[in-house]
Amino acid sequence: MQNFENSLYLTAINKNFYEWGSKMSKKQKVTSTGQTINKKPLGMRIWNHRGFYLMFLPVLIYVLIIYYWPMLGVRYAFYDYTLKKLEPVGFKHFQKMFSDADFWKAFFNTLQLSIIKLLITTGTAVIVSVFINEMANLFAKKVLQTVIYLPHFMSWTVTAAIFTLFLSTSSTGFVNETLKSWGLIKESIDFMHELTLWRPVYYLVNIWKETGWGTVIFLATLAGINPELYEAADIDGATRLQKIWYVTVPELLNTIIIVLILNLAKVLNLFESVFVMYNNRVFAVSDVISTYIYRKTFMTAIPNYGYTTAVGLFKSLVGCALVLICNWASKKVRGRGII
Amino acid sequence: MKRKVLSLILSTAMVASLAACGSSAPAATDSQSADTTASETAADATAATETAEAGSYELTDLYITVDGTLTANVDNGQDAFIEQWEAAVSEKIGHDIKLHINQPEHSGYKDNVAQLLTTGQPGDGQYPDALIMSATMFKQYQNTGILWNMADAYANAEFQSRITLPSINENMKTANGELYAFAPTYGNGCVTYIKQSWLDAAGLKVDDIKTFDDYYNMLKAFTKDGQTGVIAAGFGKLDEAPYINYMPEFWQGAYPAIYQKDGQWVDGFQEQATIDALTRLAQGYADGVIDKDTEEASTKTAREKWFSNDQTTSEGVFTYWAGTWLRTLTDNLDKNDVDTDLGDDRLVQLPPIKEIKDTWGGYINREAPVWVITDDGDGDNSREQAIFDALLETMLDGDKVQTLWTYGAEDVHWSTHAESFTTNPDDPDKKKDYEYAEGEFHLKQSPNDPNSVWKKNHLDPVLVIAPLTNGFIDNDELVTAGNKFFTENCVDAPQSPSSEILTEVEADLATDKTTLMNEVVAGKKSAEEAIAEYQTKWGDTINEILEELNAQ
Repeated sequence: MQNFENSLYLTAINKNFYEWGSKMSKKQKVTSTGQTINKKPLGMRIWNHRGFYLMFLPVLIYVLIIYYWPMLGVRYAFYDYTLKKLEPVGFKHFQKMFSDADFWKAFFNTLQLSIIKLLITTGTAVIVSVFINEMANLFAKKVLQTVIYLPHFMSWTVTAAIFTLFLSTSSTGFVNETLKSWGLIKESIDFMHELTLWRPVYYLVNIWKETGWGTVIFLATLAGINPELYEAADIDGATRLQKIWYVTVPELLNTIIIVLILNLAKVLNLFESVFVMYNNRVFAVSDVISTYIYRKTFMTAIPNYGYTTAVGLFKSLVGCALVLICNWASKKVRGRGII
Repeated sequence: MKRKVLSLILSTAMVASLAACGSSAPAATDSQSADTTASETAADATAATETAEAGSYELTDLYITVDGTLTANVDNGQDAFIEQWEAAVSEKIGHDIKLHINQPEHSGYKDNVAQLLTTGQPGDGQYPDALIMSATMFKQYQNTGILWNMADAYANAEFQSRITLPSINENMKTANGELYAFAPTYGNGCVTYIKQSWLDAAGLKVDDIKTFDDYYNMLKAFTKDGQTGVIAAGFGKLDEAPYINYMPEFWQGAYPAIYQKDGQWVDGFQEQATIDALTRLAQGYADGVIDKDTEEASTKTAREKWFSNDQTTSEGVFTYWAGTWLRTLTDNLDKNDVDTDLGDDRLVQLPPIKEIKDTWGGYINREAPVWVITDDGDGDNSREQAIFDALLETMLDGDKVQTLWTYGAEDVHWSTHAESFTTNPDDPDKKKDYEYAEGEFHLKQSPNDPNSVWKKNHLDPVLVIAPLTNGFIDNDELVTAGNKFFTENCVDAPQSPSSEILTEVEADLATDKTTLMNEVVAGKKSAEEAIAEYQTKWGDTINEILEELNAQ
């Protein structure tokens, strides 16, 4: 009887153990050596690492307050939020936004300006990096690097003021006056107000301002290229240009792609550089989502914050999608994501 | 990737749940209850100092928002102004009161006010109890329910017996007799100033400039070797009434906005007069008689270039505000050593040319800027009446407080004590001595510029609707002559419309009209093409607005 009871008892234990085992199977982890490790419950793990969690707590609170608390405002995208009025309107603002030609113009301008700017500034940075890398005179190299870095530290407001003066049609405009004195033009060219010229000027200003800074990452990559590759190329009789083309450029390619991918996620964040350079006459080619939001919010007699929040929310969602796409692309290219 | 998508969904859910938590306040209610809640909150915020049963309200803190027209700003003795205002008004109303002045950047004033009024509420320390608005702004806010109807307070005000220009405020009343704003002065306007030295150099006399052709030929004569005929802050200021006052000779009879014509509201931007005006501007731009900087110049940029030290790239003509500004412009030319030998005769005022006289009748006298009081929406007028009594009633008391608003703080901006001072003591050419006897009213040196004499504070003594009774008058002959010239040559501007649809689209409308105007002037399209484009985009909306206005 005792044996029977014992056997029932053991059966029950085995059964319970089996059930527990099957329940816990998802919490088991197999190591690279084939060992199975049972994961501890979350509460116990937190308690065991309470020191780390305590250290993380301020960061968590900071993130919640600074990044998540303001997100409460996204609900206004579904409200009419204006003077003495706060009423839910569903998707009205989104309907209005999608039917507004000015919004779509701003949206496509954002994509075009950002992407072309990204390609041009990255391309220029690569070319300049290669040239700097090829320079033998260390002093000249350092001076050049410093000179081309400097514009990056200028604010966009100052940059725009400089170029506006530089390209002005008045007698103080250096470019127009020079072209006139050389007899190349008779009438001043209104670089900042011509629909066909504004974008090229915008790209040029971006190249001037950001190329130097953009070379930092490429120069770091160039410094890490194995010298044996160049020695091997020398033995094979490669010219300087051939070494650039067959050694330097392939070595840089991975970095170029990574830089492009990482920046692609930020293409919708275009405001300051456009805001300080655009004007009424070139809205058709220069108005971007952020300037559109700014005007609708801060330059309207009685703004409807609901509408501008809706536009902002749409921009954020597209930005999120771009980040995911870039993450996927990054995984494909370098084997790991960016988030 | 799945995990990333999952984490994104979870984040979104978290935000949504947070948003849901946050929406337990007025947001989740229907419009009516939201309005009620907002009102209740507003009322709660101010209830602390209100004595409901007595229907009285002890206003201990007054928050006002003002633009740059309060010249006693923080760099120019505002502390003294506040201190003396608090002392004088506390004595008048029988209890202590503190004045809090919020003075945003003048050029961004409209946007700043929009934010304050939309996101704030009475009693939060930022929300204005009273504020200044341009006529255009006022019309946009008039029907929003945010402004207090001060008709009764205005009718019962002590200053009524001293008002010399009652029509200014009477004309602002609605058809129902409601009055949502108070104008302590009339509007003033712009006149065309010409540099005498430029006229002399071109062998011209101002009396010979009678028609647009004369005016245009004068501009042409001025335009040479880097110098230009005329500059302004934009070819037209299409976002602020009266829109055409900075280049009246080119605009002539056009009015590029919605206005009343023969009792009906019409859109002046679509009229032939506007097409003609744009064509004239384009011609002027092409001929180089209009300075290229005009398109983007702010008023500050335009006037600084005009009176700058470097006259080789300056302009001969500038249309700007009348009266006190004649003195300011002259002083600035003096400061920059321009035409020093001409003294106060540096500038001549051009009488309206024939085309302006034949259409408008003279220079445009804009609708007056106004003071408004915000309504907290609690249905009780005691707070608003207390604001009126402390601020607007005392503003025109004819004595102490009105002097503060007119000239600034005693012994800081003006004085009656015997004193002597010298401006520009180190420059023999500009040095000027001033000496005043005890009891003689006079303006002192500007607090932030001892080389210039203070001019006025917020109220222009010449434009005010109820003059000072204490005899404090600044006898500047140039200012007096400027005001006389304007009043003899001005007509009232058309009344601004007040329409809900217009308020909603006005900024976009002004942006598009400005873009089209600039494109026409730059020769990118003809005036007819621009108006056709405008009609295509805005035709239906404008018709709706006109329908709404004409049904009122």
